[in-house]
Amino acid sequence: MVAYVLRRIGSTILVMVLVSLLVFLLLRLAPGDPAAVLAGDNASAEQIATLRRLLGLDDPLPVQFLSWLWAVAQGNLGASLYSAEPVTLLMSQRAEATLSLALATLTVAVPLAIVMGVTAAHRAGTGTDRVLMLFAVAGFSLPAFVVGYLLVYLLAIQAGVLPVQGYQPIAEGIGGWAAHLVLPAITLGLIYTALIARITRATMLETLSEDFIRTARAKGLPMRRVLLVHALRNAGVPIVTVIGIGVALLIGGVVVTETVFNIPGVGRLVVDAIARRDYPVIQGVILVCSGIYVLLNLLTDLSYTLIDPRIRY
Amino acid sequence: MVPSRRMLMQGAASAGLLASAPFVISAQAQTAVPRAQQLRCVMHADLASLDPIATTASITAYHGALIYDTLFGHDEASVARPQMVSEHSVSPDGLVHSFTLRPGLKFHDGQDVQAKDAVASVKRWGARDGAGQHLFRNVAEVAASDARSFTIKLNKPYPLLVDWLGKSSPSLCFIMRESDASTDPARPITEAVGSGPYMFNRAESRTGAQYVYDRNPNYQPRSELVSAMAGGKVARMQRIVFQNMPDEQTAISALLAGEIDFIERVAPELQDQLRGNTRIRTEVLNKTGSIGWLRMNTLQAPFNNVKARQAMLHLIDQKAVMQATFGDPNHFKACGSLFGCGTTMENDANTAWFKGGQNIARAAALFREAGYAGQPVLIMQQTTSPVLSNASLLIAQWLRQAGVNVELAPLDWAGIVARRARKGPVAEGGWSIFLTWASGEAYNNPITLAGHAATGESGWFGWPEDARHEQLRDAWAAAPDLAARQRIARDMQENAWNFVPHVYLGQWFATAAMRADVRGMIGLPDLVPFWNVSRG
Repeated sequence: MVAYVLRRIGSTILVMVLVSLLVFLLLRLAPGDPAAVLAGDNASAEQIATLRRLLGLDDPLPVQFLSWLWAVAQGNLGASLYSAEPVTLLMSQRAEATLSLALATLTVAVPLAIVMGVTAAHRAGTGTDRVLMLFAVAGFSLPAFVVGYLLVYLLAIQAGVLPVQGYQPIAEGIGGWAAHLVLPAITLGLIYTALIARITRATMLETLSEDFIRTARAKGLPMRRVLLVHALRNAGVPIVTVIGIGVALLIGGVVVTETVFNIPGVGRLVVDAIARRDYPVIQGVILVCSGIYVLLNLLTDLSYTLIDPRIRY
Repeated sequence: MVPSRRMLMQGAASAGLLASAPFVISAQAQTAVPRAQQLRCVMHADLASLDPIATTASITAYHGALIYDTLFGHDEASVARPQMVSEHSVSPDGLVHSFTLRPGLKFHDGQDVQAKDAVASVKRWGARDGAGQHLFRNVAEVAASDARSFTIKLNKPYPLLVDWLGKSSPSLCFIMRESDASTDPARPITEAVGSGPYMFNRAESRTGAQYVYDRNPNYQPRSELVSAMAGGKVARMQRIVFQNMPDEQTAISALLAGEIDFIERVAPELQDQLRGNTRIRTEVLNKTGSIGWLRMNTLQAPFNNVKARQAMLHLIDQKAVMQATFGDPNHFKACGSLFGCGTTMENDANTAWFKGGQNIARAAALFREAGYAGQPVLIMQQTTSPVLSNASLLIAQWLRQAGVNVELAPLDWAGIVARRARKGPVAEGGWSIFLTWASGEAYNNPITLAGHAATGESGWFGWPEDARHEQLRDAWAAAPDLAARQRIARDMQENAWNFVPHVYLGQWFATAAMRADVRGMIGLPDLVPFWNVSRG
């Protein structure tokens, strides 16, 4: 087990280096010049060239990449070309908002989705199943910005019960923190609820047709116990996998929701940085996110041992 | 070892506590300012750089106007009035300007503002800004005389010196601490310590999200009534917040809900949501608006031939370009003056092409006279700007109708500013046309706006060259008064619409929206200042 974890952590570092190299090359191949953006529209070519030199953007690409990698190896992700603030500071300022949104979304989506999926499987083919799966299809089909704008209009502008936008740190009051997360979490949670509910239903249907379920029912166990203890646990591995992927996607894939609700999260940080070609910020965020993705995958894999004792590493 | 569920739960809880600790601490450090004493604003762009000299970005000029002060400031009649300066005198030969700073001026860090700070700031600005560079061609020395006095010695009289020191279009001559102003003007400073009416609150600002400015309790406004950038800059609000909100619909919703107080520019298609709402007020603050312009690569075919450039004057229907984005004619107008419309230099010299309206047949004939032989004409289409993107599509269509082989290259702004530096032909990664825009007032000044120069390859992108134009620009700067400058401007326009350094797309007027209780917004062409503003 320990050897397996160490091997996986080792491969994580390799993945992060490869991702870094790929992102570095893609950014340099894409058209764009941060010095020209930074200097402003009225700047002359000479002024832009001077700024390029001062920012080190004139150095050969291998030199730029290796010096960045060397700094990363020393724990330094570099600084924004624009604000000169350390990338770690920029990320730490944004991390709470993104993590809060991810947490709130999962808190809404996972229990609801599992209940929906289990219920739909248990009542497969009935009206309940159809209604629940219709909801799931709608969750997939409705774009986040449509749902977001509708919720804002109804609950924030018309009813005035929730804030339109923004994020309030938890330290400034848990009530305000939660209020700012309700609408974005529902918006973002819809698609995850739909995804997890459909996977849960499919996996549960397969499990419910197994012999041990028939045996459990023949023993006279209550249906609730059969569903939650016997079937759901055995159907758990694919469900946990989907939840794990969902968490990874939530960390970096919440740009639309962050934009619609003006949440200053990591997603918007990287999108803004891409628009300006703020290379150190893009590289730093993607490096950290890729590390988080790989580690989340590892945690998901390790969690299988808790769900299914037959799985060993 | 197989981790138990309890271990996993404990680990997750510990990680969560550790991760949240910095946020708890930073939030506790924040100061509370009553909402009624805050003005929360959504501006047109994110504040990418804090240095208003190193960049000409308007949003950085807004930031600069809040935290820095200027030696002079233009009043509503565009006359430069003393601001930080208490006394100004000029020697009889016009070669020595002497300035004395007002007593009691202090930087936000508590240091006195001294003449050495002004000297270093003027030099840094002069090395970077277009007007400053033109002025410094005639400057022999800038030196402090004592703690509060300094002189600018000239090689020959320069009538616009004070106007330039007080100009309100980027880059303004902001007075910084000597330590900041002594740095390379090409490298943006990251400090934000000035002596202006507001102080930058770095602790509560979040790069890319919000920028916070608190009232400077030590600021001593002038006793005169405020008039544009002149007079007393009274900071009535305790706090100004720039909120970066990239989604315009979200900004409108936030304004309607009272979460923000001011939106600098509201997209025309969203203005219906505000109409008839008594809690919201709209206003055009920038009376000379913005003007879109089209630059041609004059080093390469076909636009290295003046006939092809003249063809573009006849090709473009400014009203149609504006209509495509703004719809309502109240939001825009066509403009044939080189200096923009509604400006002091506006005139109608040599505008028969404009008065005659769009004439694609004439444009086609001029392309033929230019010897156009089907070379690809590449338009860099800025996809991130609706007005410029739509204009690119229309111009491409009109060029095709005129028999031109057009290619559109969709790019974001960062892509355009990189590619426009290439002087070579399209086949070698170059370009033929790009579109951009500037404030209407910027076109009024043939020295300040880089694109007004016709200095060839050493000039701004497109690199038009015309010796007569340059002579007229120098004459304009040396002219003794407004009437003389207006006469020269007429000559300049007469000449410019013959060699065609660029072509205009139309002039539009952005609408600002604010809560109805916001009072005292000062309408300026190039800046949105926040002194004098109050609520309730």
